Amino acid sequence: MYRYDTLDREILADRSAEFREQVGRRLAGDLTEDQFKPLRLMNGLYLQLHAYMLRVAIPYGSLNSTQLRKLAWLSKTYDKGYGHFTTRQNLQLHWIKLADTPDILDHLASVDMHAIQTSGNCIRNVTADPYAGATAEEIDDPRIWAEAMRQWSTLHPEFSFLPRKFKIAITAAPKDRTAAKVHDIGLAVKRARDGAMGFEVMVGGGMGRTPYVGSTIREFLPANRLFSYLEAILRVYNRHGRRDNIYKARIKILVAALGAEEFARQVEAEWDKVGTDADLPDLEIARIRGAFAGGAFETLPPRSEAFEAAKASQLAFARFVRNNVKPHKKPGYAIVEISLKGIGETPGDATAEQMDVVADLAERFGQDDIRVTHEQNLVLPHIRLDDLPAVHAALAAVGLGTPNIGLVSDIIACPGLDYCALANARAISVAQHIAERFADADRAENVGELKVKISGCINACGHHHVGHIGILGVDKKGEEYYQLTLGGSGAEDAAVGQALGPALPYERVAEAVDTLVEVYLRERKDGERFLDTFRRTGVAPFKEAVYADVH
Amino acid sequence: MPTYIKRADGKLAVAEDAFTAVADDQDIAPGDVIVSLTRFEAEGDRLLAEGRQVGVRVESSEDVEALAYDLPRIAVVALAFPKFRDGRAYTSAALLRERYGYKGEVRAVGDVLREQAGFMVRTGFDAFEPADGATVEDLERAIHRYRHVYQRSADRRAPAFAEREV
Amino acid sequence: MKALTANRLVDGEVVFWDGGRWVERFADAKLYDDAAEAEAAEAHGKNQPKAVVDAYLIDLVESEGLWAPLSYRERIRALGPTNLNHGKQTEGGAAIAALKHAHGAARSTGRVDLIRRK
Ligand code: SF4
Repeated sequence: MYRYDTLDREILADRSAEFREQVGRRLAGDLTEDQFKPLRLMNGLYLQLHAYMLRVAIPYGSLNSTQLRKLAWLSKTYDKGYGHFTTRQNLQLHWIKLADTPDILDHLASVDMHAIQTSGNCIRNVTADPYAGATAEEIDDPRIWAEAMRQWSTLHPEFSFLPRKFKIAITAAPKDRTAAKVHDIGLAVKRARDGAMGFEVMVGGGMGRTPYVGSTIREFLPANRLFSYLEAILRVYNRHGRRDNIYKARIKILVAALGAEEFARQVEAEWDKVGTDADLPDLEIARIRGAFAGGAFETLPPRSEAFEAAKASQLAFARFVRNNVKPHKKPGYAIVEISLKGIGETPGDATAEQMDVVADLAERFGQDDIRVTHEQNLVLPHIRLDDLPAVHAALAAVGLGTPNIGLVSDIIACPGLDYCALANARAISVAQHIAERFADADRAENVGELKVKISGCINACGHHHVGHIGILGVDKKGEEYYQLTLGGSGAEDAAVGQALGPALPYERVAEAVDTLVEVYLRERKDGERFLDTFRRTGVAPFKEAVYADVH
Repeated sequence: MPTYIKRADGKLAVAEDAFTAVADDQDIAPGDVIVSLTRFEAEGDRLLAEGRQVGVRVESSEDVEALAYDLPRIAVVALAFPKFRDGRAYTSAALLRERYGYKGEVRAVGDVLREQAGFMVRTGFDAFEPADGATVEDLERAIHRYRHVYQRSADRRAPAFAEREV
Repeated sequence: MKALTANRLVDGEVVFWDGGRWVERFADAKLYDDAAEAEAAEAHGKNQPKAVVDAYLIDLVESEGLWAPLSYRERIRALGPTNLNHGKQTEGGAAIAALKHAHGAARSTGRVDLIRRK
């Protein structure tokens, strides 16, 4: 893993000192709220319904045990003993006091963490594949590039006041676990026929009020030209993105207005002028690459007797393995996903105790490596098969053994009206009701892969547009209503969901999801996922079933 | 004479402003003036022929490329921040310095706040008309806030990766 | 009927105006029958930038013989989140129960303006 050096640390310390001064000026009355708000937002500090919320950056969703323990400790000391992992692979603390924030940032800095650019119209935390360095599918380790982008984008002098926020995702595997196609920039690592490494560059994806799947503007960008190309894209956007209407300010609107071809032409013209000066020297890339190299893998047989025995004798373990354990590039190892979607729990929440347990497991069994997924779960990327039964038992003991990764109860939900000042409706309790309906693990497994994603408002933090079933909270005359969409996907087969019909009241949503699942089970053909069936049948049978009793 | 804050030899100081900013609907003042891009395009040659120094105010929606051929004759380019959130002028400044090698004054005008000073200096601004009453000390503090930077920019400061090589 | 609410600057806590100071319990809030009086209180609230952020009036509705915020959002502010029992609702008692049960009443009134506020 990448370790911060003195330079990285001094930048964090300076940022922390700057924010301490700004908070001091606000509390002393030298800054008005109007003046202070943009300053606190640049450090991920929001004022929500019940308290301040601090969004801590987890760069490319990668943590070590010291860092996770610190987050646990912060949540106990300054919050109510839990944290909320988000679709941006970040952690939100929902009950923070303004006066405590300078100290919190110092504590974060002490473990090489921060809240820089977790809000504001700047380049946000880069999303990367949570299986990076562990999956055999990847062409390169995307964390190398994500870390280089983290540095490049931090306090960027030219691109810190963009028309709107800017999100980059990078994946190096054919199976996209980053939602790259619905990011402002999605990068997919590719290899050219001659073996040279590079990126497919997709631009203009996004969610919110007008969702788009990104367009490829360059099939192959040589890897060593990444930063000049990013500069060209950001420059074209900074100059020409709309600033008159926040709903039209994201790059997706510019790309759609110009057309992807014309946008690409402008980027290429700018890129020609930028030249190679803006690229990162190979030496620096090599330095960062070195930090991610290796991993302390033992040479193990591909088959573990202890693992096989546990699987054969324990039903719960076998189920956990079926759903939460993924193949590793090294024989004898596995990738373990930890579901933060316990039935009836708040999606993405982890208590301090749970965080401590995960940190301990990572340290003891998992090369001190922890990841956060954009689906609001955690990952232990390098677990020996031999150790899996012990890891599972330890997880299950603190309520982290839910075997539902990718299943209908593994729901993405934003904080919604329970916490968020922008919300129209609740998202968490809708997720809880749906999960409870599918509490029967056999039934959930029988349904198979089904991604339900819920947002409390059109800002789409819950990625509802790309849910196989998407659920959007709307406000109908002061009441909570929910607009359902079907057929979205945030993966490599990205698509924006299609509206099912008129919005449903709160009480009817979980039941409607149940009905949709029943229609799928009735209609599905061999091996089809919900999404495949929907794509084959279209919306009609689903619509008919859900609205049947309305007439 | 009104004053502004000017950076020379790496230091900020309060300086007297020899230039009068002339709005499009005003008559040209005597002496050195800053006029809009539109007005410069129409009247620049004449104003320069009168032997005075001329500066041009470029709005955030305007392209500095329009000045490319005139830059050697222009003493000041004043880049406007209609709101501090409008970051287009950072790109304009970077282009003036890096792409066109402009050596004259690049002045930040409009909603200029101390919090932005570090970014401004990095992209090539060397003169400021603060809107928040920031003093030379306030701006110096903001400019020297960070001991290191991560990116190359117009200020030619060595980025972290270059520092690491040494 | 109206009440004045805000978030306290130093910690973000939801607070209500009791006529003389900011209090944490909705049950202690001053209730305004008179529109002019309510607006005067709001103006006063907006004038305390070192104490609170964004003071505004909320509409109330009757519930179990007590008053409760009309909009769902405001009831969540007065109670705490609905997913976990760790906000103001932990206090319990009749005043909290009235807020919780105000549910039905507010849903039928169809007022939206408060939800739009930030
Ligand atoms: S989608 Fe809306 S309600 Fe949910 S977290 Fe984002 S802004 Fe808040």
